[in-house]
Amino acid sequence: MGALTHLLGGLIGDTLARLVLGVAFIMGFLTFNVLFLIWLERKVAAHIQRRLGPMEVGSHGSLQTIADMLKLLSKELFTPVAADRYTFLLAPILVFMPTLCVASLIPVGDAVGFAEMPYGLIVITALSGLTVISIFMAGWSSNNKYAVLGGLRSVAQVVAYEIPVLLSALSVVLIAQTLDLQRLGDPHAWPHLFGLPLPYVVVQPLAAVIFFIGITAETNRAPFDIPEAESELVGGFHTEYSGMRFAMFFFAEYTNMLVLGALGATLFLGAWRGPILPGWLWVILKSYAVIVLMMWARWTFPRLRFDQLMSFAWKLLIPLALANLVATALVLGFAA
Amino acid sequence: MSLVLRVLRGLRSLLTGLGITGRESVRRAVTLQYPHETPDVSRWGGPIELVTFPETGTHDCIACNACARICPSDCFDIEGKRPEGAKKMRATKFLLDFSTCSLCGLCIDVCPTDTLQYSKRYDEAAYRRAQTVNDLLAPYGEDPYLAGKLK
Repeated sequence: MGALTHLLGGLIGDTLARLVLGVAFIMGFLTFNVLFLIWLERKVAAHIQRRLGPMEVGSHGSLQTIADMLKLLSKELFTPVAADRYTFLLAPILVFMPTLCVASLIPVGDAVGFAEMPYGLIVITALSGLTVISIFMAGWSSNNKYAVLGGLRSVAQVVAYEIPVLLSALSVVLIAQTLDLQRLGDPHAWPHLFGLPLPYVVVQPLAAVIFFIGITAETNRAPFDIPEAESELVGGFHTEYSGMRFAMFFFAEYTNMLVLGALGATLFLGAWRGPILPGWLWVILKSYAVIVLMMWARWTFPRLRFDQLMSFAWKLLIPLALANLVATALVLGFAA
Repeated sequence: MSLVLRVLRGLRSLLTGLGITGRESVRRAVTLQYPHETPDVSRWGGPIELVTFPETGTHDCIACNACARICPSDCFDIEGKRPEGAKKMRATKFLLDFSTCSLCGLCIDVCPTDTLQYSKRYDEAAYRRAQTVNDLLAPYGEDPYLAGKLK
């Protein structure tokens, strides 16, 4: 990587070279992981339902996602006549952008990440809320009643569930006294038990649960997948999308899962710290643990009704997250 | 207080659900990897076919039309011919319209020479209705009785 940066740096300058390589690396990394995650999701689903899932393409169907992607690439890209054409075309491209930015902020070791920021957590929360705009663009521009309903639901849902996510993340921030994700991985700041540093999930279990529920809702995943509820809204916001444009939304969902899973790992599961294995591998393993739990939940729980979903967020999660935050502040205040 | 109780109960039911799916996920798959594995067909009764007797190497249909008469769906279309000097007829045409057959098995029971049986075929498909008419004599070549090779 260093040599490559140097080589490219001679051509276009060091800063730009680092940027280009960083983005290329993150894109490649995310794409590879998403391909794997889609396969993993199908395997988890299959085994929970006592099936085997994809078995034909590659060993244990490991190349199934690539085959599916090739199929989607060859499909016709259909644009409805009544659609708002440019918004319709732009939405699947834009849906990737916020997640890509967020991914570059996740620390993977003691060394500097691709982008280092003292207020990384704020930037992440600000950016991850932007995904919903692309989803709403897709729903609105399709000029289809199901798509519009899906888009509207998505907006209402993300607005509601961003708050508990942020509040539960703040409880950790209160203890860590930093918004810098890099410093969240500093074991000196972690709570200690018998001289042993413990990740924040141990002292903030409620916040961890709320955070998990929140990110599940933010990624539009079951049991919070009402924006694309198949049984009532056909495909929701992506009803009118076909081929690779549909695949972009699909990919974005899994990228989002990966990034928010990594954020959860950074906040609650001790970031990249862990014995023996290198830091980046620990980040991936911990994120995958979060993601497998999300998949497990998806194939276990039925979908919530829209009003249940909203009252759950506003009447239970937000007060609970607020109470947890106040309790944390009080405990810290009296301890100090 | 009731809200706290409700939340805790709900949480417990969620965990129970996760426990159930978690347990099921490590159990053996119950599905069949179809083209690679085939199901057990020992108790399966598929479309009617003619029995080939090992002694003669051919079926023993005498074109008596007993099956055609008892068939509630009128599936059969049978014609026969008497070999020279023989007492019994031999079938020269034996068509079974599987699109109307309900696999009731009456033809198997009534067959005087026991030359009808359920086959073990289970994976047939056709694009046209005409293709569902099975020619039960198709597996056999020239009839050895009619050709005078067997008496």
